[in-house]
Amino acid sequence: MASDGHPPEPGKEEVATTASGPGARDLDDPQFMCCVCLDILYKPVVISCGHMSCFWCVHKAMHIFQESHCAVCRQPFKHFPSICQLMHHLLRKLDPADYKRREEEVLEEEKRIEMYSPQIIEFLNSKNNVGNDADNRNEDSKTRPPQEVSLNGSVVDDHSKKIKLEDVSCPLCKEMLYQPAVLNCGHVYCVSCLPSLTEEALKCDVCGSLHPGCFPNVCLDLDHFLEEYFPAEYESRGQKVQSKKGQCNREGSSSGTSSAKGSSRAQHDDDLLNIHIGVGCDSCGEYPIHGKRYKCKDCTELIGFDLCGACYESSLKLPGRFNQQHTPDHRMELDNSALLGRVHQDLLMMEGGVIAPGAMVQIVFENQGMGDNGEGPGEAAIQEPVDVPGAMLHIAVDGQEMEDNGQEDDQEA
Amino acid sequence: MSSSSFPTSRFPFAAGAGAPGGGGGGGGGGSSVRPWGSSGGTSVSSSGKRIQKELLDLNASDCSAGPKGDNLYHWLSTIIGPQGSPYEGGIFFLDIVFPPDYPFKPPMVTFKTRIYHCNVDSAGKVHLDILKDGWSPAFTISKVLLAIKDIIGNPDPYTPLVMSISRQYLTDRTKHDEIAAEWTMRFAR
Repeated sequence: MASDGHPPEPGKEEVATTASGPGARDLDDPQFMCCVCLDILYKPVVISCGHMSCFWCVHKAMHIFQESHCAVCRQPFKHFPSICQLMHHLLRKLDPADYKRREEEVLEEEKRIEMYSPQIIEFLNSKNNVGNDADNRNEDSKTRPPQEVSLNGSVVDDHSKKIKLEDVSCPLCKEMLYQPAVLNCGHVYCVSCLPSLTEEALKCDVCGSLHPGCFPNVCLDLDHFLEEYFPAEYESRGQKVQSKKGQCNREGSSSGTSSAKGSSRAQHDDDLLNIHIGVGCDSCGEYPIHGKRYKCKDCTELIGFDLCGACYESSLKLPGRFNQQHTPDHRMELDNSALLGRVHQDLLMMEGGVIAPGAMVQIVFENQGMGDNGEGPGEAAIQEPVDVPGAMLHIAVDGQEMEDNGQEDDQEA
Repeated sequence: MSSSSFPTSRFPFAAGAGAPGGGGGGGGGGSSVRPWGSSGGTSVSSSGKRIQKELLDLNASDCSAGPKGDNLYHWLSTIIGPQGSPYEGGIFFLDIVFPPDYPFKPPMVTFKTRIYHCNVDSAGKVHLDILKDGWSPAFTISKVLLAIKDIIGNPDPYTPLVMSISRQYLTDRTKHDEIAAEWTMRFAR
């Protein structure tokens, strides 16, 4: 990331990549850099605005009881997307050694906080790649330079390339991705293929999960990479898509985005008190959960396993977002211990405050220990004016107490 | 997933690290920040790594910054007053304190050099959107310093910290610039 005066923007990176020339095939240029940790992306997550960060970088930057905003473009989003496996494998193949280093670093950090990101099983391009992938993984950190690893590739004309065309193909048109857009579940499609998935909502063809929120934007980082890495194919794909669709690519998607913003804002104010602070749905990724929250009674992981109402009722059973060993026969129960409305009430009781109608309540959460997770607010991290029929009141809560309250309630129930 | 159930006693950070405003400048942050290398394990924490990276590629012109002592989370920076402004020729020292969960929380930046400016109060507190609600983890300290440099040259009298200065800035610009230049001569050389 160039340390110039602006947050990185797609236009900038384009300049950077062209400047480095077509010969620069590898990750030496900063195009697959995470703007949050300033390191190579690891287990990349693509937000619906098309910007990428590492799994933990996105999760830690998400707001625990408001909608979150993209670190780069500030577009609001409410769902924590799944890891984009295509990007993950791409990065792993491009620079195995560096990716391995990141893996070790992140694992160490995960052990420290006792929370783990999902294990990614090597299944991309099942047949001819599985063996190679396994080999590569073992050799990555050791002696083999990256160039040699790529020679395992089986396709003849791509002999010198680490990435093969089928690594970056669209599951719908089966051709190379052109203007790729990533759904909330982490699966990548050409943006021109996406409308065929639309019934009432975008539903992923691979995993069957619904894409919440607005129509995803093109992931420009990946698009630029493909353009540079497969110039000929990219061009022919471009022409094909253009001719197929007279009206050219879906610019309409961005307008849809902006119209969605207004409504989400209004809704957000309405049910702020129905939010479960810092609790996310492990199926759709909604963070924080609005409305009903179901908590697994049998998962022992620190992070727990929770579902939102809609995902609890749906038949789709996905694994947890944090490598929980959750199985469908685990018992789930309704849990309100982290409900903002409720925490808020408890606070009012603690304060013994008398409330006058029509005033603002400001809640300042203070939770020291959470600081190291980045997750939790240090002091003054959250200052959210909540519209409540209450008086001017300034509440300072210690996170520990809050947590205790929750646990007591559990025992009572 | 539920992140509100994090262990709360893992690191004995003093809560003062994030105190709004960081008021008194120097005394505020120092004690509450973990010195680097003391994270217990062999590695530096993720916030420490990120700060080290920023230190390596810090090349903002006219701005310089670096750790004050051996504490990676406490920096000192200098900004040279922008040319053509009444602050020209002044060298302003700033104190930067990184919270332990940086970059997810903004760094605290305070002026150590007195400055006659409607967006900087007498304690050195800076009013800058990106250091508060406008913070994004994609900002780096060099971008923050650039923004501060920009606001020195182009004060924003409509969101002032010091009302009297902003009023003067709007009504009697020459007088304002005179005093600002005088303060720069007196405190920033």
